[in-house]
Amino acid sequence: MNDEGSKMFLYFSDLLDLPVSDPEGKVRGRLTDLKVQLGELFPKVNSLVIRSRHEKSARALDWSWVETIRGRSAVLKPGADGRLTALEVGSREILLREDLLDKQVVDTSGAKIERVNDIHLLAVHGELRIAHVDFGMRGILRRLGWMRAIDAASDWLFSYRLPEKLASWKFVQPLASDPKRNLKLNVTVRKLRDLHPSDIADIIEDLDRANRSSVFRSLDTETAAETLQEVDPRLQLSLIETAPPEQASDILESMEPDEARDFLADLPEEKKERFIGTMEKPFREQVEGLLKHEEGTAGSIMTTDFLALGGDRTIADAVEAFRHAVHPLETVAYIYVIGEDRRLAGVITLRHLLLCNREERLGALMNPHVLMVEADDDIATVADVFNKYKFLAVPVVDRDLVIRGIITLQDIVQATAEEL
Amino acid sequence: MIKDGIKRRWRGLLLFLAVMGPGIITSNVDNDAGGIATYSMAGAHFGNNLLWTLIPVMAALIIIQEMSARMGVVTGKGLSDLIRERFGVRITVYLLFGIFVTNLGNVIAEFAGVASSLEIFHVSKFISVPLSAVIVWLLVVKGNYRSVEKVFLFACLFYVTYIISGILAKPDWAAIGTSLVRPSLSFSPSQLGMVIGLVGTTIAPWMQFYLQSSVVEKNIAVKDYKHSRLDVIIGSFIVTIVAGFIILTCAATLFKAGVRVETAADAALALKPLAGKYCSALFAFGLLNASLFAASILPLSTAFLVCEGMGWENGVNKKFSEAPQFYGLYSLLVFLGAAVILLPRIPLFRVMLISQVVNGIVLPVVLVFMLILVNSPKLMGTHKNGRVYNILSWGTVAVLVLLTGAYALSFVG
Repeated sequence: MNDEGSKMFLYFSDLLDLPVSDPEGKVRGRLTDLKVQLGELFPKVNSLVIRSRHEKSARALDWSWVETIRGRSAVLKPGADGRLTALEVGSREILLREDLLDKQVVDTSGAKIERVNDIHLLAVHGELRIAHVDFGMRGILRRLGWMRAIDAASDWLFSYRLPEKLASWKFVQPLASDPKRNLKLNVTVRKLRDLHPSDIADIIEDLDRANRSSVFRSLDTETAAETLQEVDPRLQLSLIETAPPEQASDILESMEPDEARDFLADLPEEKKERFIGTMEKPFREQVEGLLKHEEGTAGSIMTTDFLALGGDRTIADAVEAFRHAVHPLETVAYIYVIGEDRRLAGVITLRHLLLCNREERLGALMNPHVLMVEADDDIATVADVFNKYKFLAVPVVDRDLVIRGIITLQDIVQATAEEL
Repeated sequence: MIKDGIKRRWRGLLLFLAVMGPGIITSNVDNDAGGIATYSMAGAHFGNNLLWTLIPVMAALIIIQEMSARMGVVTGKGLSDLIRERFGVRITVYLLFGIFVTNLGNVIAEFAGVASSLEIFHVSKFISVPLSAVIVWLLVVKGNYRSVEKVFLFACLFYVTYIISGILAKPDWAAIGTSLVRPSLSFSPSQLGMVIGLVGTTIAPWMQFYLQSSVVEKNIAVKDYKHSRLDVIIGSFIVTIVAGFIILTCAATLFKAGVRVETAADAALALKPLAGKYCSALFAFGLLNASLFAASILPLSTAFLVCEGMGWENGVNKKFSEAPQFYGLYSLLVFLGAAVILLPRIPLFRVMLISQVVNGIVLPVVLVFMLILVNSPKLMGTHKNGRVYNILSWGTVAVLVLLTGAYALSFVG
């Protein structure tokens, strides 16, 4: 395209169905679509798609053969005629009208699903690039051809102009409208990974089934585990079943033990056995142990992610242990101290870790008056303990006073919120 | 202990919902005020002459509903969504506007039903209608709709009274049999209008959107589709049996006695063989239940489908500020619908019939869209329509368009 150096914004809706003519003015067809190469921050249009009345299918023309887009038509360079090819869409390419316009996409800046009403393109240095996506009412009015009329009316009546609602392309994650094309767009589902798992969960809940599994499968194991924890329980099973079996077991192992236990507990017996069977030994034993506890007891909401060290160990050892914890610990507020018989002896807090000397022994620093609950205690009792003593976590012990798990403030809030 | 209770509640609900599939629920809502009015008037004004139309209508209903359900299961998206993605924003806007107006007509009919049923108890419509509008609005916006749905569904057992009444009225079964086998149709405007109304009330445009959305919400896998199909067929049967009995009961009682149905009290007389002097109260109860049930579902479903197509935020679990268009549309439908009924001297039963005739006229338009979508290999893959289906479906569209044309012409000729 001509006009080197000048920058211009234009809307895709203004280009759609524009007549395409050769330099002599003869009309070759209409511009029905634009093909874009994804991957860059602001993807470039690489082809024009033309449809003419005589030909059955649409044809593509490399964008470099476009001379200019002037007013009411697109003008091609001389010799463009012979350069028309069949339309093929590669794996990192999309068609603006076919794949993007009127479809749903994820707006990662708002962490929600939006519908594309129009596309804002930037013309610079002879290239056309996607700059923004229009989600707003103005986009709809522009497509309908009512924008000028409504603008004039609202201006005259209320001195008001409907605001634009454009989102920069860097926040837009396209989805596949065609289930088969999901595989191709898998590669580009990167932008969602930066979102908080709760937001990803919200988005997944709002998506249709095909895109749901697509998005979930594109997440790395850690994020997938965190997202699965936040997703509506009704969708959890169908989501994890879309992942290949090895990855499914990895995801379960990455989940917080109490969340994994909650998920498995609600499954029909045979599926539960199958999932547990795929887990590695230490994780499997952990979860099976948690599943043994009756619903409504402390044991059923506790997590096995906690740190417990012998009294003769030092602060330095405690910090090391923390660094090597398997899961990111739900609470780092307390580290428990156990005696030689593995009985719970006391507790160390975060203050100790930060303020005390690295060589000091845990046994000397600990608070020996640690409040504990038994695995069989009911949740109401545990809630009372939290209410009275305002701890961040409470250890759960068995009959021999050996610590089996902890209940965090978050766990008890979740459990009692279900009551309300 | 806490979790145990929740689990038990879920299981019971699951069991109930498993039995009441989207198809069955849709069919119960289908027998709304417009339905009762149309079937009653068909029976009272034309006797058993139009009974035969229910057979092809049922066939069409099954085919159309099956397509809706199939699209929902295979694509996992609602009808509005599919239309927007395939046809673009311009066509979608015009179609949605048309559907909005059609559905508004249906909502008006529901409130007509409320007014007319409570008139039997001499409650003025100026009290019953605003009150019920507010109740319905609060129920959906503030309340727990799901638990009330069960109550409504249970009250749908009311339709059994038509079956019993119909049998007690000792209709001429032989004549019914012959009229079914040897159909007759005069091309008078009133008969044509009634036939279009019968189609429109049994296969309402809003039902296709509602059914597809319900199926999508249930997240049914493609391999479990057979259950949906059965659910749809059972639902269609229920609708037709109920419709048939309303018609023949009214034929055996009202048509025979030469009663024209203008008010609920007239229509209620059809239940006399069963309920004697309590027939009015019984009828009023049934009509009220049907009207309120549909009045809580239709505006909601319409708001959903418009927002889905336009890309606006949806859902009752969002605040007003988060989903203003949704709440605005919903409230507009409920309160405007109710307001129209408050116009003085408005003929309630005729309004109900007209709304269903509009349904019947708009239906072919929606069908054409559905047929284009369901035949798209890109969308449906191997589940697109087979040839027989297409012939039957396009045939239905053709017949409906011809009927509408004939109806329009009959006013001129």
